[in-house]
Amino acid sequence: MKMTRVSFEINNEKVSLDVRPYETLLETLRERLMLTGAKEACGMGSCGACTVVMNGIPVRSCLVLAPEADGAVITTVEGLRQDGKLHPLQQAFMEKGAVQCGFCTSGMIMTAKALLERNKKPTKKEIIKTMSSNICRCTGYKKIIEAVEEAAKKI
Amino acid sequence: MNNEFNIVGKRVVRSDSLAKVTGEARYTADLKFPNMLVAKVLRSPHPHAKILKIDCSKALKVPGVKAAVSGFDSYGVKWGVFRYTQDHAMLHTDKVRYIGEDVAAVAAVDEETALEALSLIKVDYEPLPAVFDPFESMKDGAPQIHSEYKNNVNIHIHIDVGEVDKAMEKAFLVREDTFKAAGEAYAMMEPYAVVALFKNGYLDLYMPNAGPHVRAKALSNMLKLPLNRVRIRHINSGGAFGGRSEVAPGDLVASLLAIKSGQPVKLVLTREENATASRQVHDIVATVKTGMKKDGTILAKDYKVVYDGGAYSSTGPIATSIPFYVYEECYRFPNVRYNGYRVFTNKGIRGMYGCHGRAFLAGNESQMDLMAKELGLDPVDVRLKNGLKPGEVTATKSKITSCGLKETILEASEKTNFRKKWAKPSKRKGIGMGCVAIMCGFPMGFRSGSSAYVKINDDGQVTLVTGLVDNGQGNESMVIQVASEVLGVPMEDINLVCADTEVTNLDPGAYSQAAAFVGANAVRVACENARKRIVAIAAEKLGIKETEVGLKDRAAHSIKHPDKKMPISWVVREAFFRGEPIVATGSFFPHIDFEREWVTRPWGQMAGTFSFGTSVAEIEIDQETGKIKMPKFTSAHDCGRPINPMAVEGQMEGSIQQAGVAALTEGNLWDKGHLLNPNLLEYKVPLACDMPEIDTIIVSSRDPAGPFGAKEGGLTIRMNAYSAVACALTNATGELFTELPLTPDKVLTVLERKKGVK
Ligand code: FES
Ligand code: FES
Repeated sequence: MKMTRVSFEINNEKVSLDVRPYETLLETLRERLMLTGAKEACGMGSCGACTVVMNGIPVRSCLVLAPEADGAVITTVEGLRQDGKLHPLQQAFMEKGAVQCGFCTSGMIMTAKALLERNKKPTKKEIIKTMSSNICRCTGYKKIIEAVEEAAKKI
Repeated sequence: MNNEFNIVGKRVVRSDSLAKVTGEARYTADLKFPNMLVAKVLRSPHPHAKILKIDCSKALKVPGVKAAVSGFDSYGVKWGVFRYTQDHAMLHTDKVRYIGEDVAAVAAVDEETALEALSLIKVDYEPLPAVFDPFESMKDGAPQIHSEYKNNVNIHIHIDVGEVDKAMEKAFLVREDTFKAAGEAYAMMEPYAVVALFKNGYLDLYMPNAGPHVRAKALSNMLKLPLNRVRIRHINSGGAFGGRSEVAPGDLVASLLAIKSGQPVKLVLTREENATASRQVHDIVATVKTGMKKDGTILAKDYKVVYDGGAYSSTGPIATSIPFYVYEECYRFPNVRYNGYRVFTNKGIRGMYGCHGRAFLAGNESQMDLMAKELGLDPVDVRLKNGLKPGEVTATKSKITSCGLKETILEASEKTNFRKKWAKPSKRKGIGMGCVAIMCGFPMGFRSGSSAYVKINDDGQVTLVTGLVDNGQGNESMVIQVASEVLGVPMEDINLVCADTEVTNLDPGAYSQAAAFVGANAVRVACENARKRIVAIAAEKLGIKETEVGLKDRAAHSIKHPDKKMPISWVVREAFFRGEPIVATGSFFPHIDFEREWVTRPWGQMAGTFSFGTSVAEIEIDQETGKIKMPKFTSAHDCGRPINPMAVEGQMEGSIQQAGVAALTEGNLWDKGHLLNPNLLEYKVPLACDMPEIDTIIVSSRDPAGPFGAKEGGLTIRMNAYSAVACALTNATGELFTELPLTPDKVLTVLERKKGVK
């Protein structure tokens, strides 16, 4: 099978690897780089469980082909901790009780991270609007929104 | 809420959340083992067809394919929760009964190879006439889906208490209405996945499940392996909501492939497969007849409820009964008749759902409001009048012990200014209230109880072992919190080993709402037994009476002179010296009438205790489009003492989403045997922007038998939130709903009907 070489920076590390040309970034992350924090819940862009931040933008990695990520800078949930310290979003999700089954959590946190990077002081309305790109089946979203508000205060 | 405890009752960070926010928490699809194969399943394209032949020979010749299986490779042992409902072989050799049913499967080195092999499996079918509507299915001459069930009636539950017909005659007001609701999708975010490994005659399995012990038992039967050779291992679960309670066809498929290939096998369903071929929720049609006295007292209820049961029995008798029971556990019915029919159709397999029974429950509640209105009463008074009180006995003879129903009704209505708003609805706005009770556990024979054990290690750290399982509700954290309270060590000192059938004892699982009342109670007892041993040694060493010893912050201390203390680790070491390490077991068996049987003897004590709750929905209806907006939702819950109020609130908020907001959007759509909305684009799970402002109230209550006074938390709201929404519609329009979900088209029909009356 013909493979394609891609190189990108992921969680502050440069990697170079061979992928199938039609492989999704989500597969590359999960199967080749063992970064299983991003989840596949729909595989068609409708839920956001696979969200990672690519060049500052939250992307659904199930819709990105791995070769498209060539040269990109990517952050996944595994790359959020800095010097062993949790990211304020991670801390807030825990403290506010925003995590139940946890299957949507990494996608939620990555979506929120991209939001807070481009908008330091989002209003509650803006938070709700942005977080509405992701599905959570467990929480009713209340505590997720509160967690993002709380983290925004701390960043 | 005042609190005499160190940690129980506090808003603690859940023990499982760190791994989940860092991406370290492992779910089934994340697992990797050396030489692991990928499995894919060939599914039936027919809703009903005879299987003439299955030929896997070409598939097996594809390089990289390691095994292929069909029903001819299994023992054909049929699954069913009860002896009289065993009709589901999961891989069949005679016929297929729904589109998407598992027919054959392959395991190969990668997904592409597996898919190629799948396309080479040849199945010869002889299509049979199929039936998709339960009422058609019950008619004489309809296609017979299972030969042993006449007229395709899978289960008939018949309950008859008092003298219903006479009471109806005496009633001042009688109403009969019929309500329908589409079955919902579980839509748990984690699609079904299973990993199977077979080594040295032992089968190890990982999958999201709501009860590892029941699962192991079912698979040991189906695979003809001794029970201790089937080991269900612990793994995180990405949501269940009732949909992971039973053994799944994928479990059998992956196990057979692993046994055949001798290699680990992973099967991950796609979102669409998860919707069509894991489990679905029953569509329900409920006819509700109520007789009321002039003062609003319910004299009699007469029910006929038809459940579209899909192709197999599944939890049939339970699913056919539960909506009735959660209602009779809430209100006093001196005369009541219930005829529940679960009917086979050529649709996917159906199971219990956290929000099960919305047509029945929302129908009852909104009809009650309409009758109250006619009698010049308000919904609050009618509910208070008919609601059960502590010490009362339900129609089918369950005694209610602790009961905060009244408090939930009063607090929810006061908080929302309910009476005033209800009395003056506008055409556009409505407010509605829904109540229900939930049994905390129900009869499951010797599996109704739980046993746990605990050992204190030489550094004072604790290992806690229980069969209890967590599907995301926070059960793991809950029992750690309970153990922490009893043993006086922080939560982080407790290592939980759970839901692994090799090491854990029987437990009902995250099923029948038993986790807090039964599972956590067993943990409490085990820890109390260990505590007694610690206290005995500490008292001796500190030279005080046992009754004067307290345990806190990893130390045993004198309650009178807190400075007099010693670390628990010293106590433990002393115990080792004496050759009597501190290990203890504990069990809890709820007070249930085990003679009770769903079909043949539907009376007797159902559960050790019951939870109660009231929800209030406030809606606005767009008169032109029929679209409903829901600005505010309030729920009040009697869950006994909440072990972790933050976790209970989370359950309540999730319930408002999954049952309340879902009442406006969610429902499976069918074209004959085809599910039209099997994915998350077409099936509308509410998003953050769809949510109302939420207010949750936990009323103050203590259950005498619950661990620290706790009962089930959250499910009560899951089974009354839709009622509140339906009642709000009735309040605004003066009309009853006929069908859920209340999508704009259905609301317009209600509005049209109202115009017609004028
Ligand atoms: S898995 Fe990518 S959006 Fe759902
Ligand atoms: S926590 Fe379960 S899907 Fe969000």
